[in-house]
Amino acid sequence: MASPSSTLRQRGGQKEKKQMDGKADHADAYLDNVIGSTKKVVTPEWDYKIALLIITILSFITRFWGISHPNEVVFDEVHFGKFASYYLQRTYFFDVHPPFGKLLFALMGWFVGYDGHFLFDNIGDSYIANKVPYVAFRAMPALMGALTVPTVFLIMWESGYSLPAAVTAAGLVLFDNAHIGQTRLILLDATLVFFMALSVLSYVRFYKFRHEPFGRKWWKWLLLTGVSMSCVISTKYVGAFTFFTIGCAVLIDLWDLLDVNRKGGALSMPTFGKHFAARAVGFIVVPYFFYLFWFQVHFSILYRSGPGDDFMTPEFQETLSDNAMAASAIDIQYYDTITLRHKETKVYLHSHADKYPLRYDDGRISSQGQQVTGYPFADTNNHWQILPPQPFGEDNQLGHAVKNGDLVQLRHLVTNTMLLTHDVASPFYPTNQEFTTVSLDLAAGERHNDTLFEIRLEQGKAGQQFKSVSGHFKLVHHPTKVAMWTHTTPLPDWGYKQAEINGNKNVQQSSNVWFVEEIPSIPADSPRRVKETRKPKHMPFLKKYFELQRAMFFHNNALTSSHPYASQPFQWPFLLRGVSFWTQNETRQQIYFLGNPVGYWIASSLLAVFAGIVGADQLSKRRGIDALDERTRSRLYNSTGFFFLCWAAHYLPFYLMGRQLFLHHYLPAHLASTLVTGALVEFVFNAEPIIEDETVLTKKDDLRKKVPAKARKAFQKASERLKGQSMLATWAASGVILAVTIWGWWFFLPLTYGKPGLTIEQVNARKWLGYDLHFAK
Amino acid sequence: MAATHDAFTTGKDDGDLRRRNIQTHEKANGGMVYKIEAEDTKKLQKKSNLVAFLDEWEFVIAPLIFTALAFFTRMWRIGLSPIVTWDEAHFGKFGSHYLKREFYFDVHPPLGKMLVGLSGYIAGYNGSFEFKSGERYPEELNYTSMRVFNAFFGAVCIPLAYFTARELNFKRPTVWLVTLMVLCENSYATISRFILLDSMLLCFTFTTTLCWARFHRLQKESFSPEWFFWLFLTGLSIGCVCSVKWVGLFCTALVGLYTVEDLWNKFGDLKMPKVELASHVAARVVGLIVVPMLVYMFSFYLHFLILENSGPGDAQMSSLFQANLRGTEVGKNSPLEVAYGSKATLKNMGYGGGLLHSHVQTYPEGSNQQQVTCYHHKDANNDWFFYPNRDHMDFNPETADVKLVANNDVIRLIHAQTGRNLHSHTVPAPVTKADNEVSCYGNTTIGDDKDHWTIEVVNDAVSSDYSKIRTLTTAFRLRHTVLGCYLRAGNVNLPQWGFKQIETTCVKENKPKDVYTHWNVEAHWNDKLPPGEAKNYKSPFLRDFIHLNVAMMTSNNALVPDPDKQDDLASQYWQWPILNVGLRMCSWDDNTVKYFLLGNPIVYWGSTASLGAIALLILWYLIRWQRGYEELSQHDIDFIHYSAIYPVVGWFLHYLPFVAMARVTYVHHYYPALYFAILSAGFVMDWTTQKLGRRVRWSVYILLYAAVIGLFVLFKDIVFGMQGSHQQWRYLKWFDSWRIVDQ
Repeated sequence: MASPSSTLRQRGGQKEKKQMDGKADHADAYLDNVIGSTKKVVTPEWDYKIALLIITILSFITRFWGISHPNEVVFDEVHFGKFASYYLQRTYFFDVHPPFGKLLFALMGWFVGYDGHFLFDNIGDSYIANKVPYVAFRAMPALMGALTVPTVFLIMWESGYSLPAAVTAAGLVLFDNAHIGQTRLILLDATLVFFMALSVLSYVRFYKFRHEPFGRKWWKWLLLTGVSMSCVISTKYVGAFTFFTIGCAVLIDLWDLLDVNRKGGALSMPTFGKHFAARAVGFIVVPYFFYLFWFQVHFSILYRSGPGDDFMTPEFQETLSDNAMAASAIDIQYYDTITLRHKETKVYLHSHADKYPLRYDDGRISSQGQQVTGYPFADTNNHWQILPPQPFGEDNQLGHAVKNGDLVQLRHLVTNTMLLTHDVASPFYPTNQEFTTVSLDLAAGERHNDTLFEIRLEQGKAGQQFKSVSGHFKLVHHPTKVAMWTHTTPLPDWGYKQAEINGNKNVQQSSNVWFVEEIPSIPADSPRRVKETRKPKHMPFLKKYFELQRAMFFHNNALTSSHPYASQPFQWPFLLRGVSFWTQNETRQQIYFLGNPVGYWIASSLLAVFAGIVGADQLSKRRGIDALDERTRSRLYNSTGFFFLCWAAHYLPFYLMGRQLFLHHYLPAHLASTLVTGALVEFVFNAEPIIEDETVLTKKDDLRKKVPAKARKAFQKASERLKGQSMLATWAASGVILAVTIWGWWFFLPLTYGKPGLTIEQVNARKWLGYDLHFAK
Repeated sequence: MAATHDAFTTGKDDGDLRRRNIQTHEKANGGMVYKIEAEDTKKLQKKSNLVAFLDEWEFVIAPLIFTALAFFTRMWRIGLSPIVTWDEAHFGKFGSHYLKREFYFDVHPPLGKMLVGLSGYIAGYNGSFEFKSGERYPEELNYTSMRVFNAFFGAVCIPLAYFTARELNFKRPTVWLVTLMVLCENSYATISRFILLDSMLLCFTFTTTLCWARFHRLQKESFSPEWFFWLFLTGLSIGCVCSVKWVGLFCTALVGLYTVEDLWNKFGDLKMPKVELASHVAARVVGLIVVPMLVYMFSFYLHFLILENSGPGDAQMSSLFQANLRGTEVGKNSPLEVAYGSKATLKNMGYGGGLLHSHVQTYPEGSNQQQVTCYHHKDANNDWFFYPNRDHMDFNPETADVKLVANNDVIRLIHAQTGRNLHSHTVPAPVTKADNEVSCYGNTTIGDDKDHWTIEVVNDAVSSDYSKIRTLTTAFRLRHTVLGCYLRAGNVNLPQWGFKQIETTCVKENKPKDVYTHWNVEAHWNDKLPPGEAKNYKSPFLRDFIHLNVAMMTSNNALVPDPDKQDDLASQYWQWPILNVGLRMCSWDDNTVKYFLLGNPIVYWGSTASLGAIALLILWYLIRWQRGYEELSQHDIDFIHYSAIYPVVGWFLHYLPFVAMARVTYVHHYYPALYFAILSAGFVMDWTTQKLGRRVRWSVYILLYAAVIGLFVLFKDIVFGMQGSHQQWRYLKWFDSWRIVDQ
């Protein structure tokens, strides 16, 4: 587009910048001086440190207390415990979540020397009887959960909030029954929430070093942010929301760096490029490689064939050792006798001498040809001979391999007839073609074309060898282009309740896939059966990764089945519904996964207050009324606004998701909402109605008067910012909030820790919003 | 910096100067918007009088030529195919219902289909044809004129596009390009040639865009008569587009966004008197909310007015509505108020609710008592007697005096065919285990107080007196007197043992708003009472309107694709902007005239690319601005703002919902979005060629004109109909996914 001509004037101007640089140099030296002196003056914030210590101790107590109860499999421990066992047994499995969180459990099991013999099959299975070191497993998420609370405290501290604000935020997480409940069990969310909090903390630290770009600490926190975010997304894909949150902040930051009238002086384009590149590497490239790394670990641990094989392509399965498929695959040659099996319903292609009835119940008419059906059991009627369209010479029949894309005929051995399909409606589907067989004479003569089928291997290359077991294929009729298909509705009595075989016009459908299970015509001692001990094949990592990634996304979207305790996103901030995790009838004990309603309602209502404050500020500003001073507004928008964005980004996308959702999906968003709560408690009880302009500010603080503009931009601790203000109101508010939160936590505690058992009255007293608790009668 | 920002967005400073020039031009040309560069005019005037004349009257001549061409492309050989093509099967049938005046139900609002009906009326069609897909039209049905009526809407789009492009401040070559892109868009031309709603939808989308653009241009003349005229015209267009299909709401959203931005700017203008600000808001509320609502409701009013006979859609409506249809049994000679001893049928008031039913078959599990269900078919098993409770065992329906059933009465309901009482107990219901089972038990003498039900009147459609139960109009709930649960029939079907009828249960939660627990008396027989008068059964329009709209929404959401059955015709959102897929509109054998719904490649690809180009362009200027280059004048910024950003936003609004939507989607869902993409393409061409010399610019444009026209001509047969073997058009199959020929 139009290139800048000489007439263009640049805003800000170069000259000015130079001057500012000079000023800045001068100021820097001065600033160092000032900072040096403040360091001596400012207290080392002992109050924060003591609070942090107390909170950490409490959080370890709340997370670890009674962790061995119940000694039975609870809720989704079924899945994640099982996955850990698979890792320890090194058998391949498939799951929709990335491997990091699950690998941590495996690591824990490996530390305590567990061999992974127990597969966590049912909720309520005893750990004691099965000798599972479940406390070690549970200690891992509990540790993460316990560390989450001090992380929240540190976020508030590092962001420069006052002590009561930080205590409020941390307290809301500390005494939240949902956080406690979810982190004491073998589940992924503790890891997820902890690293999500760590990402926010690292980013806040990184941002605080913005005045020392490319310094050692700047790099350190940049990379730590990236790695933490990578851990979030390597645990569950909701980590993408964390990327979005931090990404928004980074983009705004970059936009400000680009500004030619930037306070610290305009950056040159190469410098800006460096900033951009550093963030691209730290926030995108490094996390992605780290994410890939876990997949590499995943693949190298799981080298044995296991329950996940079926989700993968045959090429992938051949990379796994003891894979049944790879072991028994034999090249198929013409004139071999084969049995064909349907991949989904596992029926064999079958035929017998009976004919289709002339007329079906609905009045349609058949060809009265020989029946071709699907039969689930082994039988000689399942044997078919695979023939070339034009017979080879008598002496030249053996040794011709069948290849992908070949046209073949299939002869039914017992009745000596040839498989065929034609434009006659099938018994159940008027739109699908009937399969039948015809005599060899007809098959060689006028019906020859109708007996021709094409072997289409799934993901096959042209001319690829057609193998038994591993060669998944579609049998496509050559003249009419329908694929052989079957389904689960059995035929009526005339078909002996066997499965219907018909020609499906929709060739693409994945249920058209068949495989050759056996080649009975090959004698047991034939050299074709002899296999040299096969080494698992190699497949490039990236190819494996992309295949798995695709399968994960596909199956994640397919998770739409309903669950009795699934909930809707709108229910979460109000805590309208929990999830029943575990019950025990004898002791009337139950674990009902539920947040602390008091804490949830406080946090959610303060989110609304924040939206209200911002809305009111925007409206009044638009009308020329400035109710907030610049610093307060900047804090409200940049810091609290960031927390609010974090909440929205971790919450709102769930409205667009079609899959089943549970309350625990709200945990990251809840953590963000406690940050907003803490910040707002301070804002509401300390916001000064007086409009502070620069002069007032400088009068207030002697030190600041001497500090030039840039120094004033430097980070300000809460104690400096709120100097001279009474914190009494804030402390009081925070105390009240904490008191009611602790009461709510205490009240719902038996449902979270699973003990003690409750009487009917006690259960009913806790059915606040019609929570569907057990043992209410 | 924030201060400068504000100044830019209010658009107040140097834009004024430039604007004034435009206004003088406008006056010189008889009030029409007219803007060309002054230097061009001078040069042209020197050349010759003819050219000057053409130049001066371009705004009349060009649209006339384009419109003539439009009528040609939309109507030539329009009657060639004498068979019911594609969705003509639906919309033709709906049109027939208007001619037969039979009530039907469909997911789309009525305006478009009423227009189809009108076209049939003009063609002298009596509504007797069934419009079966692929069937040949009968001799007496003049389908050609019905199609011409539809094609008219399609043809009108071309002049609309022309004037819209002018209102968006595009230069003359761009205006022509945009018009040509709409004119020579094969998919627009094809879809306009059949009895479908899409040509109307497109037409009203185009009028809305034009009115919005014109209204924006009049921003400086607020409250002038012309300003009001275009404001109300915008409202009218919005009303029409929403009354054709609900996708019109996306168009409404575009105008809505514009209005919000406009008002936000005015809100920030502290110099504007508060009264003026308030009148701005009021004008827009009236023009852009009230007027469209009235249009939308008026279309439904006409719908109800025309469809006065009972028809296939009755069951979707309330009993009260049905009673007002001619030829219906509902409400015939029924006494108005229900008394003890009355025989009646009870209808569930939920959407698609049936009649309370019982039959001699018993539940195979639970209590093993007689089944109670909800059933749509009308038979004698739906009849129930209202009986007093067991405290009045001496009640004899023959002899007792007439006593009306009142609100909060405790009653029994006795099944007329089997003589058993409607009963409930703490046995779990067969499917919805959380609820109590409802059965039929005992007889008039045998039984217990679990046969007792309390009537709770919820509301009454025509009367504010809730003390009595009136046939059809009173909605009431039946509370089980002992257990406190409510009689409910949801949408759950029983297994085969219950003949797939709707499960009827007693639900423990008291939710007064749950319409599935609301019942009304549909048929009512009582010899002792006089038959009610028809005027008592007037159904209020608003209630029917809301009921029908909710029913439409519910069934629209139910149009989800069946994952097991892949539809050959359906396509996915990502395929549309890249023209990955076309659509066969009819059978593909050699004897049918075949139509293939596929766009003009250069229009599709060019318009899609221009969306990306605009994004890059804006990013470029933003970064340049942040780096301190002020290379755009206020005029340029306004141009980008209203002629690039708004069309792109319009495209997103019309496109993104289909990405999120779970329902089956087809290529024609993209057509409204395509128009906004075409406008974006116009902007990109206009912007990139502004620095070029006149000669170069015109040659670029002439090349583009030639490409657009050339491709249209190349693909003309898929628009005008392909006769004979499809193999003749093998050369048009550029990609495997364009299924113009097999294989």
